[in-house]
Amino acid sequence: MPNRTVVIACATVIEEMLPLMPPDMAYRTLEFGLHAYPAKLHTTLQENIDEVVAAHPGEELTILLGYGLCSQALVGVEARGCTLVLPRVDDCIAIFLGSRSAYNEQAGAEPGSYYLTKGWIEVGETPFSEHERAVQRYGAARAERIFKIMMANYKRLALINTGSYDIDRYRDYAQRTAERFGLRYEEIAGSDALVRKLLDGASDDEFITLLPGQSFQLEHFFGWAKK
Amino acid sequence: MANELAMAMADLDEEKVQALVKAGLAGGVDPSALLNECREGMTLIGQRFETGEYYLSDLIMAGEIFKTAAADLAAQGGSSGPTKGKVVMGTVKGDIHDIGKDIVVTMLRGANYEVTDLGVDVPPAKFIEAVKETGAPVLGMSGLLTISFDPMKETVAALQAAGLRGRVKVMIGGGPVSEQVREYVGADALGVDAQAAVALAGQWLAA
Repeated sequence: MPNRTVVIACATVIEEMLPLMPPDMAYRTLEFGLHAYPAKLHTTLQENIDEVVAAHPGEELTILLGYGLCSQALVGVEARGCTLVLPRVDDCIAIFLGSRSAYNEQAGAEPGSYYLTKGWIEVGETPFSEHERAVQRYGAARAERIFKIMMANYKRLALINTGSYDIDRYRDYAQRTAERFGLRYEEIAGSDALVRKLLDGASDDEFITLLPGQSFQLEHFFGWAKK
Repeated sequence: MANELAMAMADLDEEKVQALVKAGLAGGVDPSALLNECREGMTLIGQRFETGEYYLSDLIMAGEIFKTAAADLAAQGGSSGPTKGKVVMGTVKGDIHDIGKDIVVTMLRGANYEVTDLGVDVPPAKFIEAVKETGAPVLGMSGLLTISFDPMKETVAALQAAGLRGRVKVMIGGGPVSEQVREYVGADALGVDAQAAVALAGQWLAA
């Protein structure tokens, strides 16, 4: 049976994968906005997995997922007729920082961080674009009121430099965002280690590998969840 | 007119909500009936958020409109009478998301509960201190990250260590929490939305 590897990733994560991906590897990108709607993300991802499987009958298929637990959206997603590989992380910030422990460190040190990467800026998931949407819906004065509340707990804007692209192109935008919304600007070192390992076919502790018929469970992410 | 207020709330039409509340009060409509209409609107807003029709900024706007309406109605006796009881609320340590938590606080206050809102990134010791100080029999914890589960568990453990667990009911809420998480954390209940949190408080404080 011929082997094939396909990537399905969130629009923000794919930006970190593309520079490292073999040119002939097929991939699908799903909308970033899904992250705020775990049930919808779950269904959309499962549909896409099933579609990829259906498109390659008679092949031994491995699908690499550019996701994390993502508010439990991944729980119950099933490897139907394929092998699924997923980084064992809470969400994409751990992917950008290179490990789950690096994320815990950052979150512990400064929870009020608004993170930006190339992916977020490219898909327009930034305070600027949210603000624009609010202005259109509510007018400038109300949008201002909403944003005071929305940004109240954020202290720092952290641009994650994963080293996978030219950061200069995004620095200016990130700095302007920080200035506009009253945040302290900081650039923090990210890493492409997890993405690299995922694309290299790693199957160690940092990844969850599902065989056909298995599904993601909370216990894959947290030891305590074992029944 | 009753339904109109719920719809104006659901459509996030601030001026119309304020006008309808004013007109209702002037026309002698029971303030608590008007508040119920606003609550119905909030339920619809929750549904619209879940389907992706509404964004975070819309939830913030909803909280603002509801807060103003509830305050206007309270001033007119919409929530007169003695307080129904005390609740301590906060977003757990390491997490600064408060849009959902604030809606719960607003709805609880609208339903006449006395809420001590500790804000965000609240360490276990601060929750315990507030529970001791207020004597509140209900504690609500919110978390929007999967890294929030451990701080929730630590807070329940701290309640236990302080000898308070027996007299305090604990509810948790937020996008990533589930029944399995509730069990791990050791909370008494899981509130899937703001209405559920208000119902839980009602159930626990009625006894």
